[in-house]
Amino acid sequence: MTTHDSESTSFLYPFIESEETDAKSLLDDLAASARGKAAESAGLQRASLDEYDDALTAAGTGMAERFLRGGRLYTFGNGGSSTDAATLASLFSRPARGRPVAAWSLAADEAVVTALGNDVGFELIFKRQIIAHARDRDVAIALSTSGNSEDLMTAITEANQRGLLTIGFSGHDGGRMAVAEDLDFCFTVHSQSIHRIQESHAMLGYRLWSVTQQHMARPRNGVHTL
Amino acid sequence: MTTTAQPGGSFVDTDLSADLAAAALDLARKFHDGATLWVISPQWEPHAHHVAVEFVHPVIMGKRALPSVALVDPDPVAQARVASQPGDLLLAVASADEPAVVDAMRRAQAWGVLTLWIGSGPRPPAGAANHILWVDSDDPMVPATGTFVLMYHLLWELTHVCFEHPGLLKPAAGECTDEVCVTCSDEGRLAEVVLEPADATGQALVRTATGEEWADVTMIGPDLAPNDLVLIHAGAAITRLDAGQGVTR
Repeated sequence: MTTHDSESTSFLYPFIESEETDAKSLLDDLAASARGKAAESAGLQRASLDEYDDALTAAGTGMAERFLRGGRLYTFGNGGSSTDAATLASLFSRPARGRPVAAWSLAADEAVVTALGNDVGFELIFKRQIIAHARDRDVAIALSTSGNSEDLMTAITEANQRGLLTIGFSGHDGGRMAVAEDLDFCFTVHSQSIHRIQESHAMLGYRLWSVTQQHMARPRNGVHTL
Repeated sequence: MTTTAQPGGSFVDTDLSADLAAAALDLARKFHDGATLWVISPQWEPHAHHVAVEFVHPVIMGKRALPSVALVDPDPVAQARVASQPGDLLLAVASADEPAVVDAMRRAQAWGVLTLWIGSGPRPPAGAANHILWVDSDDPMVPATGTFVLMYHLLWELTHVCFEHPGLLKPAAGECTDEVCVTCSDEGRLAEVVLEPADATGQALVRTATGEEWADVTMIGPDLAPNDLVLIHAGAAITRLDAGQGVTR
């Protein structure tokens, strides 16, 4: 990404120049901006949960059934979304409460990621791991704020062909994920802000985890499966 | 019934938004002076990585790339000690009882590093970090609901707003910038031992907010070890701080 120092455009803003010395009005503006963005974030999280209420229940139930058959969860994304994928994986594998299940982020191992990126190409860093790890009872969750990342799309296709439950978290207009037949569920967060989309992805992931936990704690056929 | 988490945005009230604003201005000022932002999150390493990538590779085209690194070794205190230099920044995403973060935050004063602490649950004591950005919720699931993500997103967004105000990036009037300032004068500066006392001289190399110096440690005794925390007054170590003993910020 290209970067520009504020100096290169400062001539456009003659009144916010270096003469400014009183920080109070800036601090007030910053605080108001923080509250505004926070309210937007909260509203988007609520709207996303409402929009996908039924699908989140269906997806979480499907995940629980796979975990009860010994399935495991793979999460993946790029950049900030890779860290959100890692947070989601650890929510499933070592939750603060409830029942842990096998889950990990496919970006977590730098030896694997750099080996694949260097030898077979960056767009295959997740697909090749799906090929190596996946069984038909597993689950794949891909996180992308654009819904267009090639490395995610190829992994989703592979996961779908191998019988995994495939779930996509997308943003903006959903991108390629929104129309991908390889995805069993696609949760698109309708926003133009990458930050606000990621905050909603986390909340949608939390709901998936919550549904999964609820389903796995439920007695089945009169016998408690725990 | 599935549990519904409270949206992170609902925690950002008047107080927390003011805390975020003050923290962002300090971040911008330190970056302006050449700081690197070190990030630790021993319980939730992905949060440390997310903060670092946020600053290094901004999601908004045209925003400056800023130096930030996630420290995720098994011993983040040792990693932060060797990485940080006076004028740098240390951000933790952790609960108030995380031992490594408690330790790093108190030592940061001897390293000359400005500290920020994002977390939830019981608060750290006042003064445990320069900026405490706290989510007042006892829900243990808060770290996984996007609330911390929102907090450091806001911090990043506000910091970049500050860069549009270059006149405010200089230290505020009244801040300690020279020796006459009471809080960082020679009345008892926190120091961390770098080299233990060399035999008969009674001098140990210590590290303070302003850099390394040799200090007379004869008052404290010969069993001083590297990484011990002491208070320095007029060139001499006058007190040793025990583990867990708080420092006044």
